[in-house]
Amino acid sequence: MSIVKTAGLKARQDVTTLSNGLTLLVESMPDVRSAALTILTPMGAASDPANGLGSANVLADWITRGAGERDNRALTDYLDSLGVQRSASAETVFMRFSASMLADKLPQVLPVYGDILLRPMLPDAGFGPARDLAMQQLDAIEDEPAQKLNLLIKSRHFPQPYGRPVVGKKEHLTALTPAGLRQDFTSRSTARGSILAVAGAVEFSAVRDMVEKHFGSWQSKEPVQMPAQAAAGGVWHEQQSSNQVQIGLAFDAIPESDPDSIVLQLAMNILSGGMGARLFSEIREKQGLCYSVSAGYMSLKHLGAVLGYAGTVPERAQKTLDSFLHELQRFSAGAQRDELDRAQVGMKARVIMNGESSAARAGAIAHDFYHYGRPRTLDELRGRIESVDLKRLNTFLDVHRAGKMTVVTIGPAPLAVPVDMIG
Amino acid sequence: MVTFKHTQLKNGMDIVAEINPDAQSVAIGFMVKTGSRDESGDVSGVSHFLEHMMFKGTARRSSADVNREFDAMGARNNAFTSNEVTCYWAHILPEFLPAALDLLADMMRPALHGADFDMEKKVILEEIALYLDRPGHVLYEAIMKDHFCRHPMAYSILGTKESITALTRDQMKTYFDARYGPGNMVLAVAGNMDFDELLRLSEEKCGQWKHLDVQRQYPAAEITGGERHIVDPKLKRHYVALMCPGPSAQHDGRYAAQVLADAVGDHDGSRLYWALVEPGLADEADFSFYPHDQVGSFFAYASCDPARSGQVADILRSELEKIILHGLTDQEISRSKNKIATAAVLQGELPLGRMRNICSRWIYNKEYKTLEEDLQLLESVDAAAIKKVIQEYPFNPITTTTLGPAAS
Repeated sequence: MSIVKTAGLKARQDVTTLSNGLTLLVESMPDVRSAALTILTPMGAASDPANGLGSANVLADWITRGAGERDNRALTDYLDSLGVQRSASAETVFMRFSASMLADKLPQVLPVYGDILLRPMLPDAGFGPARDLAMQQLDAIEDEPAQKLNLLIKSRHFPQPYGRPVVGKKEHLTALTPAGLRQDFTSRSTARGSILAVAGAVEFSAVRDMVEKHFGSWQSKEPVQMPAQAAAGGVWHEQQSSNQVQIGLAFDAIPESDPDSIVLQLAMNILSGGMGARLFSEIREKQGLCYSVSAGYMSLKHLGAVLGYAGTVPERAQKTLDSFLHELQRFSAGAQRDELDRAQVGMKARVIMNGESSAARAGAIAHDFYHYGRPRTLDELRGRIESVDLKRLNTFLDVHRAGKMTVVTIGPAPLAVPVDMIG
Repeated sequence: MVTFKHTQLKNGMDIVAEINPDAQSVAIGFMVKTGSRDESGDVSGVSHFLEHMMFKGTARRSSADVNREFDAMGARNNAFTSNEVTCYWAHILPEFLPAALDLLADMMRPALHGADFDMEKKVILEEIALYLDRPGHVLYEAIMKDHFCRHPMAYSILGTKESITALTRDQMKTYFDARYGPGNMVLAVAGNMDFDELLRLSEEKCGQWKHLDVQRQYPAAEITGGERHIVDPKLKRHYVALMCPGPSAQHDGRYAAQVLADAVGDHDGSRLYWALVEPGLADEADFSFYPHDQVGSFFAYASCDPARSGQVADILRSELEKIILHGLTDQEISRSKNKIATAAVLQGELPLGRMRNICSRWIYNKEYKTLEEDLQLLESVDAAAIKKVIQEYPFNPITTTTLGPAAS
């Protein structure tokens, strides 16, 4: 069945589900000559086997090393000759494929992605290098403290398997075998729960016919789910003699599917949107405590969190953390009307500007389908942003105070965290 | 229908605009032809520090006003400093263009208050500390120094903890007064706009700025090549960088050099990809072309396990030798052209991408090219053009700088 909507700014959206369960989302944009696709398939780190952490990350590399009739080099050369800009990566829930191209190349590119997902060669010769690169990624993270912090805070704050670092564990990677990983791929590969989004100078029925042809025979089964375990939380310090101390904090928030998530998103803009936002203004501009200070909202389908970050030299680290926590506490007292006005203008502008990019739109409608079960039009997004008034925002901030914190630091010495704030 | 307009104010400031009535947004930027290469040794890092100070208020705005006004327009905005340009930009909805121009133009005449200078100095020192924790950056700064030696391209953009600590507000003011003349900057706008209104407002906001005679020094680059290894025992990985001369931003061979660099070292499907990344010897291996003002470079970068450092360096060098001996195949040239053309078209669909393109082109070459003209120039690159670049710039002399946990 196809649902048609006008997406605003002259674009139009269509949604359909293939008989094998694959969801196809198409947004036709009249003012571009590019096309972009995003494929999300539920083969992320959260469904890695318990003794094979990092499998999805290795697969995301291995899977593109030859597919259908083309070996590794033929596949790469073919996509390059079509000028396709692309990436493949494992995330928490999904494996993500993104590709941007001139729209007239889409009929040649879609079949290649059908081959990659349905008929990958997964050649013996490619397994060793793919695994080796994944192991090197683990070491590379050790050389970049900010990246390391990002992995640590998520793995401590989120319940498992959702906090798992995508890169996995060295001993698990060492134990992987080509046969075992092929078996893992077969057991997780499914059209059901997968999302294919196309945006740009494209026409729905032509795209649907191509997708039916090249993805119609994809096997269909329930996506693999791992049992959830409680998060570690608390305070964690990692000793490292870096130039800056890395400070990460996290607390629970509503998931994006909650009707109030728009209020939270506006609140996050007030806290850490532009250069006039609270964290930047109070901690960097007024006190000069750090170069980077920010907070972001992250959501999976059933859980959400606010993640905060600051990097600063050791002698200013305690004061930075204290100021950060103070701003979070102060926020529960509410925001001012002009702050909300600016956040609303900023979010609406972002909606329109992203509407000009086919790659941004393909990613956005796939994201929408996962969280909301349907793509959202630009007009709907604007309406949602405008619907929030100051009373609703301040009630939300009062009810949803920053809860128990998970705090992670990397640096020469641990920092003091008030006991009543630790989760 | 996209149209181009250029005009020059009486004080010498160029205004370039690419008008696209179908765009939903507009991007505006002031680009100043000044960067670390224009600094004398005792003010190292002043260009970048000044870029921060430009957000700190003017005669009629406080620092908080500047930030708040950008937010009130819903702008995506920022600034950056390179070795040779400093750029302040905003991406906005068309109705905010007059307000954005008013704000950016006002920022170009900053107050430079002493108290703000002292506060921002702390932020700059934090930024320096942040980059010291990034091995790729540490290595890049080191090879620029090793490669360019006494040439001003060797100067660090951020400066050092020592140079920034010693810098005074008056030194910054002297640098500003010498470099931020209207004839040394370009106002570029791309997207949906009313050009006549833009011109009227630019006259009003920038027309009073006094003309200044600003020159850039172009000493000859005396590049001799050489090798250096830097030990940092806390690192897990080995990082290698190579640099050699390439065409400048003004050189006719720059399109061919771009194709060459893509074929040799794009992150996917290039010679270095197949030689190093695909077999898992290096998790990253790139080869890039950096066209600068009257000087240029090719730059190679790879990271690997320390145990493989010798093997990776040998392969890097032998891949470059193969290029010198045999050039590229026609298929490689054609694939790279298609990749670059697609990237240009995708970037061209966004006003911000076009603004940056027309802006730097004007700064470097005082010329405008439509996207179509650019694509034709790219399309004209063939094996002979590649060969010509390789003959003129045979990856020699080569500077090698490495960084890793073990002694070399």
